[in-house]
Amino acid sequence: MTSKLFDPGLQPERTELAWRRTALAIAVGSLVAMRLLPGVFQDPLWVIPGVVGLVLSSGLWVGARGRYAAYNRALEAGDLASIPDGRLIAVVAVAATATGVLGLVVAVVATA
Amino acid sequence: MWDSESSAGRRLPSEAERHVARMSRFPKSVYRHGTEPDVRFSLANERTFLAWIRTGLALIAGGVALELLGVDLQSSFRLAAALVLIVAGILTPAFGWIGWMRSERAMRLQEPLPGSPLGPVVAAAVSLAGILVLLGVLLR
Repeated sequence: MTSKLFDPGLQPERTELAWRRTALAIAVGSLVAMRLLPGVFQDPLWVIPGVVGLVLSSGLWVGARGRYAAYNRALEAGDLASIPDGRLIAVVAVAATATGVLGLVVAVVATA
Repeated sequence: MWDSESSAGRRLPSEAERHVARMSRFPKSVYRHGTEPDVRFSLANERTFLAWIRTGLALIAGGVALELLGVDLQSSFRLAAALVLIVAGILTPAFGWIGWMRSERAMRLQEPLPGSPLGPVVAAAVSLAGILVLLGVLLR
């Protein structure tokens, strides 16, 4: 797919690896949540946050792959204006904030 | 027009198509300004954002674990430490996103990069949580 190496510092590759680390962190957190939350709240429905997290994590993995390919396409064509934008970044920011709000609720409810 | 360099023989986009691509990029508050920066700087900005996201997730996970795992601490100090960590974990992705936008815009306008409140916020939150856990140990 890639015929030329754009940057000897491998910036697109390092960025894809950063997305993968983030996706893996979400996957691990989701698995732990699936294991812990149903027991804490005595309700099997509490597997749902973990399942949602796992789906999001695989989506990010695929999205990062597509983003890397789009970077390479744009760089190869010299078309800088079609470089990936902030959409996936906004999705991650919203998801992480929502995770924090859920965590806040869980911590307070578990204490009560 | 065909690009002879491209292995896939892909057509280069016209100027009009480039304009459409530029206008449809999100968020507009970033992309309507300036010119395309060096891609390596955009990629570095993206990785910095992702590092803050992982930091935020770690803060949230730490706070929730402290409360859920039944750590033997004085309970109100334990809850306070957990809440400090989780609130810092909520602020981190939000500030990370704002910081990504401000940096990207500054690079497009060739302006100095903005500072970020995140370093001091995270440092203060982790220190405070540590003090609360220490008090929770001493007063249990």
